[in-house]
Amino acid sequence: MLSWWTDHEFMRNAIMAGLLVGGMCAVLGTFVVQRNMAFVGEGLAHAAFGGVALGLWLDIGTRYGLSWFGPIWIAVPFCILVALGIGWVGNKGYATESTAVGIFFSVSVAMGIVLVYIRKPPVKDLNTYLFGNILAVQRTDVYAALAMTVLVGLCMWRWWKSMAYVAFDRELARLSGIKVERLDYLLLSLMACVIVLSVRTVGVILVSSYLIIPAATARLTGGSLFSMAVKAVILGIVGSLAGLIMSYYVDVPSGATVILALAGAFALTTGWRVFRS
Amino acid sequence: MSQEVPQNVERRVHHSGEKVLEFDGVEITLGGRTILHDITFHVVRGEFLCLLGPNGAGKSTLLKAILGLLTPSAGTISVLGGPPTHDTSKIGYVPQRKDFDRSFPATTIEMIVANLRGQWPVRIKPDEREKAMAVLARVRGEKLANSPLWALSGGESQRAFIARALVTEPEIIMFDEPAAGVDQRGRGELYELLNEIAADDYLSALMVTHSITAISKTAEKVVIVDGNVQAFALPEELFGNGTLMSLIGGHGPDATE
Repeated sequence: MLSWWTDHEFMRNAIMAGLLVGGMCAVLGTFVVQRNMAFVGEGLAHAAFGGVALGLWLDIGTRYGLSWFGPIWIAVPFCILVALGIGWVGNKGYATESTAVGIFFSVSVAMGIVLVYIRKPPVKDLNTYLFGNILAVQRTDVYAALAMTVLVGLCMWRWWKSMAYVAFDRELARLSGIKVERLDYLLLSLMACVIVLSVRTVGVILVSSYLIIPAATARLTGGSLFSMAVKAVILGIVGSLAGLIMSYYVDVPSGATVILALAGAFALTTGWRVFRS
Repeated sequence: MSQEVPQNVERRVHHSGEKVLEFDGVEITLGGRTILHDITFHVVRGEFLCLLGPNGAGKSTLLKAILGLLTPSAGTISVLGGPPTHDTSKIGYVPQRKDFDRSFPATTIEMIVANLRGQWPVRIKPDEREKAMAVLARVRGEKLANSPLWALSGGESQRAFIARALVTEPEIIMFDEPAAGVDQRGRGELYELLNEIAADDYLSALMVTHSITAISKTAEKVVIVDGNVQAFALPEELFGNGTLMSLIGGHGPDATE
């Protein structure tokens, strides 16, 4: 019954990392959904691909014998830079946020493709990064996810009330003395980190849905923004667990099963709303 | 004309004549284009001023300049003797209704307490609830307290936002087209409410409006803006000479809301 937990070290790693990133994605997803930033999430996920490809190309771990130094350690700072770039271009009014995303998004993917193709030796496990793979999750990923969860938790504890106000209305939040732009950069940076850490579990292609679906589902059930976030976290964790176990038994990329599990919850909740009204 | 537009506002006594809000030769430039110039007018303590002008004349922009959200390219704005401010204990602001996301998952009382605290509340303390309920009572909206924002009608939503602006006990209150999205029947009532609130608390008020009804129910003074100040006068001075009707588009009462 619990063989998915007891039999393999890799599976325990995958489950622990998956639950942590699932929860973090859901918290940040609350703001992403409420502020209509789904496209930004999509853009950062594609930037993560560029970052991972850069990491694979530089291959610092192998070169310097640092086995823990996977490509995500290059992808995280790269993705944060892209996130800040998107925020800066948008806030300064050089382009709208979605235009900025559109540009950074395709440039990152283009760069990633070039790097993946010129890399020696060739990248053989690209699917792992595109669709997620529970076999690829290592103990260091679990520690990284744990550290990030602590960071996200602290940021939420400190800034939730301000971020919630900004999500309600930027101008009114500014009039109440909130530093709106700074919080934008904070949210974007946290999103960038969490997205990169989610790549092992759900992959680049599907990570933006990982951000959105739990929050979008929670939103259908009503209540305050805070209760929406709490419900989203529970859903993100349960959905990740269900998806990862499914991936273990059916042997398909974990990204697909996690997203299908979450999408199932969304469909059921939508059905319940339609039925009730 | 003057028969159609009765002057309903009872004059309040302006004891001091203290100017709480003063524009002096203000020019506002947006994206390299000067949209307003030579803007000079004032509001004295306890006075209700209506700000009129055609669409796109920059009326909302003036409110934003008062709040310090944008800086004039020339001239000075003085708010309670100081520079433009959004200090909520000095100035209350009711934004245009179309500007806000009605689907936000929150209740009326949460929105009001957010303005009181300057932070979005997770849990509302008893004293905050008491203050919020008191301002909701002022707008006759006690029953809206626990309604989600999406469930409010146009009129209810405006009352909620007015309560939100009042909760910090400001000295000046600004309304940006408060009757937008309110049905015809509710508008007169809303303007009477605004007038009553301003009079009871001796609040100084500035209201952007297109509505003749609004002016007749609230205005002690009117400023008309189109590029520059076209008129700054008592309402009865403006009716009858055609200035008012031509400037607000001549559509008749409330047509542009």
